[in-house]
Amino acid sequence: MNNSRHSSAIPIPELAPAGKVHLHDRLAARVPRLAFAAAIVAAVYYAGARIGFALTFEPHPISVLWPPNALLFAAMLLVPARFWWLIVLAALPAHLVAELQSGVPMPMVLGWFASNCSEALIAAAGVRWLVREPLQLDSFRHVGVFLLCGVLLAPLLSSFLDVALVTLIGWRQADFWELVRLRFFSNALATLIIVPLILTWANSSWEALHKVSFGRRIETGALFLGLLATCVFIFEQETASTNMPALLYAPLPFLLWAAVRLGSRGISTSLFAVAILVIWGALHGQGPFAAGTAEENARSVQLFLITVAVPLLLLAAVMEERKKTQDALQISEERALKVFRAGPDPMIIVRLSDGEIIDVNDRWESTFGYSRSEATGRSTAEIGIYANQEDRQVYLGLSAKEYIRNFEVDLVDRNGDVHHTILSGDRVEVAGTKCLITVIRDVTLQKRTEREAEEQRLELMHLSRVVMLGELSGALAHELNQPLTAILSNAQAAQRLLARDGINAQDLREILQDIVSEDRRAGEVIRRLRALFKKSETQFQTVNANDLINEALTLAHGHLTTRSIHVVTEFSEHPVVTRADRVQLQQVLLNLVVNACEAMDTPGSTRVLTIRTAPSADSYVQILVVDGGPGIAAEQMEKLFDPFVTTKPQGLGLGLSISRSIVAAHGGQLLVRNNPDRGATFRLMLPAYTGV
Amino acid sequence: MIREETVFVVDDDPGVLKALTRLLRSSGYAVAPFSSPLAFLDRHDPAVSGCLVLDVAMPGLNGLELQQRLAQKGNCCAIVFISGHGDVPKSVQAMKAGAVDFLTKPFSDVELLEAVDIAIGKSRAARQVDHERKLMQQRFTSLTSREREVFEHVISGQLNKLIATDLGTVEKTVKVHRARVMHKMGAATFADLVRMAERMGIRPARPSPHL
Repeated sequence: MNNSRHSSAIPIPELAPAGKVHLHDRLAARVPRLAFAAAIVAAVYYAGARIGFALTFEPHPISVLWPPNALLFAAMLLVPARFWWLIVLAALPAHLVAELQSGVPMPMVLGWFASNCSEALIAAAGVRWLVREPLQLDSFRHVGVFLLCGVLLAPLLSSFLDVALVTLIGWRQADFWELVRLRFFSNALATLIIVPLILTWANSSWEALHKVSFGRRIETGALFLGLLATCVFIFEQETASTNMPALLYAPLPFLLWAAVRLGSRGISTSLFAVAILVIWGALHGQGPFAAGTAEENARSVQLFLITVAVPLLLLAAVMEERKKTQDALQISEERALKVFRAGPDPMIIVRLSDGEIIDVNDRWESTFGYSRSEATGRSTAEIGIYANQEDRQVYLGLSAKEYIRNFEVDLVDRNGDVHHTILSGDRVEVAGTKCLITVIRDVTLQKRTEREAEEQRLELMHLSRVVMLGELSGALAHELNQPLTAILSNAQAAQRLLARDGINAQDLREILQDIVSEDRRAGEVIRRLRALFKKSETQFQTVNANDLINEALTLAHGHLTTRSIHVVTEFSEHPVVTRADRVQLQQVLLNLVVNACEAMDTPGSTRVLTIRTAPSADSYVQILVVDGGPGIAAEQMEKLFDPFVTTKPQGLGLGLSISRSIVAAHGGQLLVRNNPDRGATFRLMLPAYTGV
Repeated sequence: MIREETVFVVDDDPGVLKALTRLLRSSGYAVAPFSSPLAFLDRHDPAVSGCLVLDVAMPGLNGLELQQRLAQKGNCCAIVFISGHGDVPKSVQAMKAGAVDFLTKPFSDVELLEAVDIAIGKSRAARQVDHERKLMQQRFTSLTSREREVFEHVISGQLNKLIATDLGTVEKTVKVHRARVMHKMGAATFADLVRMAERMGIRPARPSPHL
């Protein structure tokens, strides 16, 4: 038994495991304490033996209550098993002194010592074997083990040994079975009354006793006064006047009171007191247990005390266990309530059957502006915290499941402000009704930050697009001048023909048709330019990569032709469809085309731009932009996609960096490598769109 | 108004090419459209007189490069450049290389037709000069070697008598030769003959030193 946490009735040597090197030193240091403990054991044993002799109902040969064995048992339970030898050793001189005074022969004295020690050892070993921890009498199981080993088995087995030795030595004065029975009851009662008293008090700390409330002290005092008064009244009266058997039950209410209210220590102490008074009364020929012969009286006392003590010890243990469970439950409930109330996120509990609000926490109150009393008893629909009632239906519909996670919804507070929230719900039972507890995570701020970041990204993307279009302005003017030239020349040709009166209707129709188509062509250029100049939100749609490339090449046509760059397109026959924002991908492609043109301005370049599309095996759409320039230098390659890295005098150096971020936002990749012969290839990979 | 000259138009933009062709035809020109410089080089007939309306910015071979090629080949066809956007360095280069005009798209019919007229005039003049030189050359080659000697001596301004002495013949013979040279070369006067000699780069013979 580890006593380090408790003050003990018997000073016990330090129990910490000793290091081997200092074993002798440590033992030497312990010798005084061990000697002190041994002396106490000896003294207590001697006193116990004397009391045992005193509690003998003459001429009944065996004491009503024989304490020495119980004391040894208690001492063994209080120290580790490796010190049991010391207890046995310490008890021997006390035993000799006590017994030899009564004129018993030496072999018998030693025989009794052997049987006494065997009882304590059997009881202690049994308890230690069945209970691996310190014996606690507030545990029902521990009490059971204590009763089995200490009160039943050990006294029974040692009594057989004892009586056998007595018979062997020739000291037996009574019947064998009679002797076994007598000794068994005597020792069982002693163990039952003494060991719980010692164990419960040895395990008590002074601090804990000091902390006992005033009310509890008054109660304890009243209980003991009542118990003592009753016992004195019943057990210390003239035998004749108290001959009513029912009076035996008079102390029972007080004992039950002690068992229910004061726990194992209270009942142990009460039982001890009752036992002392009962035996005292019987010894002095008073009370209900003095009516018969000494033997009858002794048996009555023993049976009465055993039958009272066993159930009461068990009852106390049960009561304490229940109290502990209740305390634990209360603590966990309090904790849960505190977590609910003080939780950093708004929380709400709703009854599932009718959607009525059962409870809300502080954060819910402050977030939505309704007090708890306003909210409870109404449904969330009545309060109207859902921006869309359908969301509420969907959410409550989902609650058929055990839990709901990450349900995104807009909620409205009392002021009408909308909160973007994520709900997590769990089914719970509150007071027997099925409820849904919902934790609300307000992500309004997070969403706003995300939106701001997205706006900045769009802003930057737009800026870079406008800069690129500025670079292309000359070429774009060219793209508009072509249809304008065609329109003007067509119109003036018609005028001339009309002036000469040499035009027929068919020719005029053709000319007008050409004017219309050229005008449309100019309009188309303007439309595409406007889309590129506009700052718009990202809009995903199904896009054919080939179409997209043709559009980009139309816009870049002038840029390419003024540089005499020949464009080769190798379009995949398989579908190359992706989900993308047209304008943003247009920007990426134009950027790649403009960069390629710039690369091919370098003398010695092959002025051929190849654009190829191909589906890839891993369900990507690939667009390859191959130039015939000098390729990319190794030191440039590393920082090619970094922002503000540029080779152009007026360039911002954002083109490729933004292109890559656009492609990444589309779930794709923008890669580059130099070609084996000349130039570089930019590989644009976008997730292929296959679904409907 | 039917003109004998052809206007060659080279532009890679089909819409523009068609419209320009239509405009020039409406003004009475014969027009040969080509959609690329290479197509023009491959297929046009250099014997046909006319001018070239040429786009500057084209993929592959551009307008200025075509101008250079033509110059190398000795083609004297006058060129009117048209361009999608005013590119000063390119226009300067084109004009230096002998272009008639450099028009920025979109241009009016008047601008284009004026430029084409000038170009055709220039082409025509150049062709005329060329034609005369070739004719002269042809006539010159029809002269006998004795007649050429007389030619060379005549244009040096020597008297017939002196020429006869130089060539070891009599004055009468020289006179006959001289008349035949004048006739064959188609020269009406002595001055005509001297001018022809200058054009053909024929040097007058030096008087003999024994005089």
